[in-house]
Amino acid sequence: MTRPTIHPLGPALTGRCFPPVPPHRTSRSKGPIPMKTLRLMTIGGVIAYRALFNWTTPGMFVGTLLVGPLFQLLFFAYLGRQLQVADDRFYIVGNAVLTASLACVFGGTMAVANERRYGTLGHVLLSPRSRTAVFWGRVLPYAGNGLLIAVVTLGAGALLLGLRIPLSALPGLFLAMAAGSLACGFFGLTLGALGLRFRDVWVVSNVSVALLLLLTGVNVPASGLPGWMTAVGEWLPITHAAEAARRLAAGDGLAAAASPLGQELLVGAGYAVAAAVLLKIFEFESRRTASLDVL
Amino acid sequence: MSTLRLLTVGTLLHAKQISRSPFEIVIALVVPVVQATLAVYLFRSGGEQHRLLEAAVGAGVMGVWSSVLFGSGGAIQNQRWQGTLEMIMLAPRRPVLVVLPITIATGLTGTYALLATLIWGRLLYGIRLHFAHPVAFVVAAVVCVVALGMFGLLLAATFVLMRNANALANTLEYPVWLVSGMLVPITVLPVWTGPIAAVLPTTWGARALREATSGGPVWPSLAVCLAISLLCLALGAVALTHVERRARAAATLALA
Repeated sequence: MTRPTIHPLGPALTGRCFPPVPPHRTSRSKGPIPMKTLRLMTIGGVIAYRALFNWTTPGMFVGTLLVGPLFQLLFFAYLGRQLQVADDRFYIVGNAVLTASLACVFGGTMAVANERRYGTLGHVLLSPRSRTAVFWGRVLPYAGNGLLIAVVTLGAGALLLGLRIPLSALPGLFLAMAAGSLACGFFGLTLGALGLRFRDVWVVSNVSVALLLLLTGVNVPASGLPGWMTAVGEWLPITHAAEAARRLAAGDGLAAAASPLGQELLVGAGYAVAAAVLLKIFEFESRRTASLDVL
Repeated sequence: MSTLRLLTVGTLLHAKQISRSPFEIVIALVVPVVQATLAVYLFRSGGEQHRLLEAAVGAGVMGVWSSVLFGSGGAIQNQRWQGTLEMIMLAPRRPVLVVLPITIATGLTGTYALLATLIWGRLLYGIRLHFAHPVAFVVAAVVCVVALGMFGLLLAATFVLMRNANALANTLEYPVWLVSGMLVPITVLPVWTGPIAAVLPTTWGARALREATSGGPVWPSLAVCLAISLLCLALGAVALTHVERRARAAATLALA
């Protein structure tokens, strides 16, 4: 008979005091693992979204995630008009893509930080399934949220400011906004992973969202920014998605937007890997130093 | 005299408390600096180099507003989380006198933003701090902070009722930046925003600071800002008393 090993740090931090998990429940089992992992990511993500995004009421959702970003777009569009830095399309399309960052960056951060705040992070880390899949799944609802915000903001902004977008560009624009949202979500998850190490991760998230305004070239054309800022922006989410969306809205076609679209997906994949690695390292460190729930 | 002492000591106490929060300090210092940098590059790209000081001041006022907005909502929420909201409301003074110091303290913390954007602009971009009316600028900054603190009281009275006041604060940040003409001149906005801008103290406060920076009649704008803020204070006091009684009757002060 196999006795479960009890770690000196205690069961809450290790999970090793539980009986062995039946083989068909583990990620090492044979069978349709990708489907199970997909199920874990989607259903787990949605349940976590509902639990961690608990303050949402329709009024709050509309106010914070739809009205606020729309005013952000209007603010920069009017500022751009007044300063004649670029045309309306530049600001409306760029800011519409950027508005996804609000939900995605904070959502991705919340996916880790709020588990810790509510004292449930230990339970998540006890899971016998891949934590990478669990946390990647967390990003999906927030990315969906970001996509919704971007679509609504673009529609409302275009209507209010009289921007015409070719109908043929809409599927491509949807793709660009989806890529930007996903990349932002993984960027947020990377910041959330830092929450396992640093006490106040919200400082990092707030500053990062502000920096996205500046460095992604959404509000100041790349030619107006110093070279180092443009170079940093290349490694941030939204930069390439905004570029792709602008090309599509200008009627250049999907072929012209394919390159920045691919770059955005690469940036997103990079942050997904970075988040997974950081979560692994910080989880290990948190267990080792018994600091998992130390706020 | 005792009321003045209460307000002064209360404001200092809450300002000290807020200043102990790394989150508040970092947000008050870093975010406005990022916005000021954005404003500087935007104004440069638009060929408006001569208005860089105006842009830095505008970004600073945006920071003051953010501090008051999130501070007023956050202060009440923080009192709630700390379990001290009931004690504050039980104090043998009017609710307005115990809440006003919190909101003025948030405005005071917001001056970090104004100072940070000016120092940042001077050191990094060589913006000359050549104000058209330097004395009026300092007076306008002080009045603006106190006035926004009074406006914050009206917001706080509303926030007491809401469990998730910070969500409302998220909604109000950009609209007030936009409509008040902190960076975007009101003249380029749709006509219907005019009446809204006219009743916001932020519009007149930002205008007074802009006029002190680039020239213009500072005092009338400042007087209007103060008058609207006093009205907000009166409305906030009435609302706070009403809200407090209602919350006590329904026993929802800590739960609202």
